[in-house]
Amino acid sequence: MDKFNFWTNSDLKLHAFDIVKVEHIDNSFSFGVIENISHITDAQSFLTNFISSDFGDVNVEEPTLRVGMNYAEAAISFNDRNIYTPVHNNARVYLATAEEITMALGLDKVQNPLVCGSLKMYEGTDDEITLPVNLNSKFILGPEGAHLNISGISGLASKTSYAMFLMKAIQDQYLKVDDDADDSVAFVIFNVKGRDLMAIDRPNDFIDDKPGEKERVFAEYEALKLSTEPFKNVKYYIPFSSNTSAKQSTYLGTDDVKAYMEYNQLKKIKYSYEDDKESLEMLFADIDDPQQTMEAIISKIIDDTDPDFGGGRIATWQDFRDKVDDLSQRSQPAAKGQQRVSNEISVLSWRKFKRIINKATKNDDMFANRPDSSKHECRLADALKHISKNEVCVIDVAKLPEDKQAFVFGDAVRTIYNLKLGEYDSEENVNPPSRIIVFIDELNKYASKETPKTSPILREILDVTERGRSLGVVLFGAEQFRSNIHQRVTGNCSTHAYGRTNSIETATKDYGSLPSTYKNMLTRLEQGDYLIQNPIFRSLLKIKFPKPIYKQFK
Amino acid sequence: MTVLEKETGGKSYKAHKYGLDHAERPYIDYGDDSIIWKKTAESFPHRKYVSLEALSKKLAIRNEQLLTFFLDGSRRVFKVDDIAYKVSGGRSVIYPVIAGQIGVGCCRRINKTVVPEKFKREIVLSLPDIADADGIPGFFNATAKKLNECVELKRIGIEFSTILPYKTAKNTDKKFEDRGTACIQDRMIEREKEMVAELVREGKLNQDNYLVKDGSLEYKPSKEDKSDKKKYQMFKNNYSWVLGASKNFNPEICLDINGKPNPGFIADLPLYHRTPVACFVSDFLGDDIQFAVWYIRLRDKKQTRTPFDGILKVEKILVTQEEVDNGIDSDLVDTLSAYLINERNPVCYGSDLRWANHIYPVYLTESFVKSKYLSAESFLHLF
Repeated sequence: MDKFNFWTNSDLKLHAFDIVKVEHIDNSFSFGVIENISHITDAQSFLTNFISSDFGDVNVEEPTLRVGMNYAEAAISFNDRNIYTPVHNNARVYLATAEEITMALGLDKVQNPLVCGSLKMYEGTDDEITLPVNLNSKFILGPEGAHLNISGISGLASKTSYAMFLMKAIQDQYLKVDDDADDSVAFVIFNVKGRDLMAIDRPNDFIDDKPGEKERVFAEYEALKLSTEPFKNVKYYIPFSSNTSAKQSTYLGTDDVKAYMEYNQLKKIKYSYEDDKESLEMLFADIDDPQQTMEAIISKIIDDTDPDFGGGRIATWQDFRDKVDDLSQRSQPAAKGQQRVSNEISVLSWRKFKRIINKATKNDDMFANRPDSSKHECRLADALKHISKNEVCVIDVAKLPEDKQAFVFGDAVRTIYNLKLGEYDSEENVNPPSRIIVFIDELNKYASKETPKTSPILREILDVTERGRSLGVVLFGAEQFRSNIHQRVTGNCSTHAYGRTNSIETATKDYGSLPSTYKNMLTRLEQGDYLIQNPIFRSLLKIKFPKPIYKQFK
Repeated sequence: MTVLEKETGGKSYKAHKYGLDHAERPYIDYGDDSIIWKKTAESFPHRKYVSLEALSKKLAIRNEQLLTFFLDGSRRVFKVDDIAYKVSGGRSVIYPVIAGQIGVGCCRRINKTVVPEKFKREIVLSLPDIADADGIPGFFNATAKKLNECVELKRIGIEFSTILPYKTAKNTDKKFEDRGTACIQDRMIEREKEMVAELVREGKLNQDNYLVKDGSLEYKPSKEDKSDKKKYQMFKNNYSWVLGASKNFNPEICLDINGKPNPGFIADLPLYHRTPVACFVSDFLGDDIQFAVWYIRLRDKKQTRTPFDGILKVEKILVTQEEVDNGIDSDLVDTLSAYLINERNPVCYGSDLRWANHIYPVYLTESFVKSKYLSAESFLHLF
């Protein structure tokens, strides 16, 4: 009932995911998506072919071509009269027109359309059709469904570019909306690699491409009804490092930093002890803590009534480190008969804590006493609290070590989550947009299956994926191997984009529902090709998206 | 069957129905000694094998074709019932009722692909000649017509084209079944001849477009053909551009150039060689039709089951007086043979046991014809 086979001329070019139309009863037409194409001949066995070349002479020319045909297997996706009985024998099969394809895929009835790429049918033939594919934006930004997960191997899948393309489409759409509309959006993007996303408001110069490429890409954007301008309203945040320090905390050149600062586009982020001690736990996201001693220490630190840390006794990171150092010394029997202080937590735990804290905060300019706003410095949480609509915040964590990346990311996600929960509503100038999109590459670092259950970041991410839909926090996550990601994270994503991956990955049970042709196809998708799954689509769609329109660094 | 019973006044036994095609095709019967090997029939009197390997390779590269049309006829014969007729002395003799499907198809090769050109199908019956009690000419045709008026047949759109009487006189030791089969076979050959004539009429055959016919060309010209001299020459002319390619032949009648049976001469034919062309006349067909016959080896002896597998027997009718006198131009024979050698690939190994002698376009034509048949079951249920 849901599949049919048809034969074609062996020279007809069809591809998996192409849509064909087949006659059905009551003058209706059924539409099918091609899943597999095979070629058969009248040769009974391979031996027949071998003998046909004079027992192995490869140069033999045959005066007659062996009779052969192609047959394709297609899955029924739609019938224009809702008749889903099996397609009959000898029914004629046609190529579909652009309108019919749109109808067959259910793309004609998409509300709140948001372009997510284009699809090509009958590629490489005279009948080639290119169609824009629209998603219902309520199913990716909420409230009906939210979150996007992009998977694919590095380099070949261009996950970041796809996420950026989608965000570009979203920004374009919201820029057109009236100022006083209820719906608004802002973006928080983490730059995890080089300078990749550190110039998304600069146009792509196409300097490494062949001539004419720019015009071609622009035409593609126009065909999708998108502007050909890069992102607007972009702010960059880089970790603070003093100008004198030899170790810079960003891959951005000093000239670029200066230029950005001149336009008030860039700020350096600092963490002060007093305001950010609550985020300390983020540093421990990847640390095994079976006895929950680290957790106990952290809760002691943020406890305002604590005899060691509370009540404003500690003001700077230096004070903090001294105090911790002090506590890790104490166990040594200082004097006879003297009672051990802080006996709840063993001194070994304090030492472990101290090692981690020292490694992270010592010699790092980012952990400073206070930000100086006159020098373009700020606290990240403060900046995010005041995020305004259509703003794009790019947070550069590329050069930070992994634990501090987690720290920054965790802190930012928590701030955004709390912001949308309304925790800062009482503060001045806090006017969050209705939707905030957070994009993070390498999601596997924070929400993999192996991440300890106690990880505060995993907790944040789960909060976002499970409740963010209604709150208006949308996670765009990307990772190499989807099978590594925590089930509750992928399970809550409404939209999935599958880029090129390898066969080890497709063999995992995450891909079990795909037909084998699609699995094989996933291993040889071209750069810029994605399979998209969304609740409003009747089936998986293979889409393409144009090259990035913002500046590229090689 | 009931209609037949009534029309012919016999008694139907509703006997077991079965196919008669288990045996090889009967036309291998022409292996009796009636064919006379006369002389060489080519312009250059070769005495030994002629190698065509170089020529065939040269032609293969040129990518041209002379062999354009392929024709094959086939028939499927069933014994569908027994019918009893009263004969002298009140005895009742039981005769088999034979029915057959005849299919003749022609395919054309365009750009290396074989496409159907023509097809004819017939369903015929064969009854004993004494079924016609009155001996009136036209009786059988009338009966066929009556049969076709039967509602059931009309509904499924099937027509019996004719009823062929087979001889019941006891002058040969052949079984009645075989006699019926032979009648149907003759009918098939008639149809084949008609199709050749049609192709010639339509001007499709010429020096660049030969027809390769599956099986022998030993067609018996019909009486009408013979009686009219002009018509007779036309019959011969029809075959100017026709080659007969036989997969099966009786090695015993492979007479050598000296007129003695010498199967070894053919069995030892080396790969891609042909024998000299011999000319023979057949009593069976009458003196004035002379055939040029030669053999070609398509496949190495090592790779076939018997030494005669992989050998193709080629026949051509000598049409003009010049050909009759001097034989066919040897160069033409070489060229045609080389083309036939190139036809050795692809093979139908696995689908047909006769793969070694089959040439693929003919095999396709045969498959095409057979695909048009009613299945044995549906056919038998007509009766």
